[in-house]
Amino acid sequence: MIRRILVLAIAGTLVAGTAVYAHHSFGATYNSKEQIKVEGKLVQFVFRNPHSFVYIEAPDPAGVTQRWAIEWSGAAALGGQGVNRDTLRVGDYVIVTGRPSRSPGEYRVQMLTLKRPADGLTWGNRTGEVVD
Amino acid sequence: MDFVNRTRIAGLLLLLVVAMLVNVPTFSQEGVGRQDSPTDFSGEWIVRNNEDPGQPPLGDYTGIPFNDAGRQRAETTAESIWGTPEYQCRPHSAPHQWRGVGGARFIKEIDPLTRELTAYHVQFWRSLDRPIYLDGRPHPPAWAPHSWTGFSTGKWEGNTLVVTTTHLKDGYLKRSGPQTSDMYTMTEYITRHDSLLTIFMIVDDPIYLTEPFIQSTTYQLDPSSQIRLEPCTTSFDENGGSDPHAVPHYLPGKNTFLTEWLERDNWVPAVAARGGAETTYPEYRSRPNAPPIAPLSRTAVAADRKIAGQSPNDGEVHVLPVQGNVYMLVADGSNATVSVGPDGVLLVDTGSARMTDKVQAAVKQLVATVMGPAPNNCMGLNCPRIPYGWSSPFMNTIIGSPAPAKPLRYVINTSASPDHTGGNEKIAASGFFPRGGGTGAVADVGQTASVIAHENVLNRMSAPTGKQAPAPAGAWPTDTYHRSFYKLSEYFNGEPIIVYHTPAAHTDGDSIVLFRHSEVISAGNIFSTVSYPAIDLEKGGSVQGIIDGLNQILDLAVAEYRSQGGTWIVPGHGRLSDTADVASYRNMVVMIRDRVQDMIKNGRTLEQVKAARPTMDFDGRYGSNTGPWTTDMFVEAVYRSLKEKK
Repeated sequence: MIRRILVLAIAGTLVAGTAVYAHHSFGATYNSKEQIKVEGKLVQFVFRNPHSFVYIEAPDPAGVTQRWAIEWSGAAALGGQGVNRDTLRVGDYVIVTGRPSRSPGEYRVQMLTLKRPADGLTWGNRTGEVVD
Repeated sequence: MDFVNRTRIAGLLLLLVVAMLVNVPTFSQEGVGRQDSPTDFSGEWIVRNNEDPGQPPLGDYTGIPFNDAGRQRAETTAESIWGTPEYQCRPHSAPHQWRGVGGARFIKEIDPLTRELTAYHVQFWRSLDRPIYLDGRPHPPAWAPHSWTGFSTGKWEGNTLVVTTTHLKDGYLKRSGPQTSDMYTMTEYITRHDSLLTIFMIVDDPIYLTEPFIQSTTYQLDPSSQIRLEPCTTSFDENGGSDPHAVPHYLPGKNTFLTEWLERDNWVPAVAARGGAETTYPEYRSRPNAPPIAPLSRTAVAADRKIAGQSPNDGEVHVLPVQGNVYMLVADGSNATVSVGPDGVLLVDTGSARMTDKVQAAVKQLVATVMGPAPNNCMGLNCPRIPYGWSSPFMNTIIGSPAPAKPLRYVINTSASPDHTGGNEKIAASGFFPRGGGTGAVADVGQTASVIAHENVLNRMSAPTGKQAPAPAGAWPTDTYHRSFYKLSEYFNGEPIIVYHTPAAHTDGDSIVLFRHSEVISAGNIFSTVSYPAIDLEKGGSVQGIIDGLNQILDLAVAEYRSQGGTWIVPGHGRLSDTADVASYRNMVVMIRDRVQDMIKNGRTLEQVKAARPTMDFDGRYGSNTGPWTTDMFVEAVYRSLKEKK
């Protein structure tokens, strides 16, 4: 026990820095090796901290319409990128690319890019426009 | 006296005066109180460092002294469980809390009279206030609820504060998978070195660890920092889809992401990534395939005994005040729920027959305590709520005899199980429910308390005319319902009380009872913190009914803050719980259901399913090889329930 405590103490003093953690781990939640595209009608936009959510009704691979939850950055971060609570409206047709959930059977995606063809709005292509 | 002696005496007197003068300020400035706190932790602290280089990747269990159950529990945990409504606003689990972003704040709680340090309160960005009591109070009984911060007491060893924490909820050791049971305890050694604060934490989890899990975190004093508020708004759709009760998880062996991180960190042997006590020792790095070092056995404490303590078979009735009018009776292995107030007594379940006298005595004592005469704190004619009288109302409160407490009015049975209806006959007979009206009650009507239950409870306890009934007529429900819910016809003790049917769960006659103002749900046998749910297939029970019933509780209940407290749930057996506890229990049942369902889909027989141990990672917490409800019986009930479902 003492031996381990000493080892941990030394390690603890050597290793500096603390990661900023979200309430869940993005790396553990989403499959970073895959990317999918979801396009359909926006049915809800939850603009909040710690993360915002865009909900889209779109078909799954089997063609069944599902309610997709697209996780976006928090309100504070999006605000700095010009996104506000009125940027997206219910009924907007949007195209989203993102990383799918690792959990089987879920319709949850970490947003990489968003595009609204109606007016050319895009997100995810400029520096800093990442969800973390 | 010669000159020399006079000089000596004068010198001594002068020395004495000087000494007194020197000491006077000492007395007046330092006082005579004892020193309670060898050092002072109060202030704002920021995280300086710890052993982890960052968030651990999925599947990295190095240095975690897992047993097989702990490893499987980690591997089958899906991170998107944090997207379920019951998880979204949870704070960090206690083992990780020291490492969460945002720093820590220590606040001193001082007794204003004695100036003694009675507690430290620790706060984090994403946490509730965590008191560490230093006043010598004992830890609560095992049937008291658990919380995210647990119940902490501290004592000084030199300049180090040693904190012992019990009553913690289940959570995680580290991010990304490694879980704890709700039976773990923590011992923390908090030491201040000038502007640095070191926290050594030892986690003992008898369910998932074979040895203690140890980590340390160093903080630095930073008076300029402030703990921020982390707002949290629950969304019911974070995981997408249409099922609000979906429980993300992996089937055993189906989590294909666990070794992904080793592609990058290929210097780590795959066997080391699996964790285990041996990987916690420095020698392991040079000898990864060496035999395990003998464990310290610190966690080899009797988990079974700790769990059983939540529902002790000690022949006694323990009373726990819950909230509002409602109290929990822990009665020799079964729980009852009592409402006590100006309208009388309502009892949900009556316990086993052998405990009837003690349950009655406990209720009587409770009524005397709750409804006894209140101390008179007002003098004069205008005191509020004075009894009637023509002389001084003040005098009446002293010389008047208090009215007798109202009797037992209602019994509600959550099922027909003997451990919940055993006291029906005697207890109901001691009560009175006014039914007759007019000038007199009809014979046999209104002479007992009203006994309410779903009609299938009456069916199970009674028998048609000429047949032998399983229970005496005096124990039968007098007022049954057959729809999805039943409301008491009027407020009782100032609140609505609603009985909801949970179909085909423990049996076909189950109910849960909601005290709508006190915010308490009495769950009956669909929820236990000391065993797997008892599913009586022969009496219409099913595993899906259990899950649906638990989801119904979650739909009705509301957490007070940060996913804990709020609506309290009294289980049929075990400790007082809240939504987070019910969610964890529901998740466990769903995970086991899905595992068994998958095996059925793949053509496994009952014996093959049992041999595969689909409950392995939960057996240490809820399983049993003896007694009335064994793990084997539970697995068989789940299997048959799924196999035979229409």
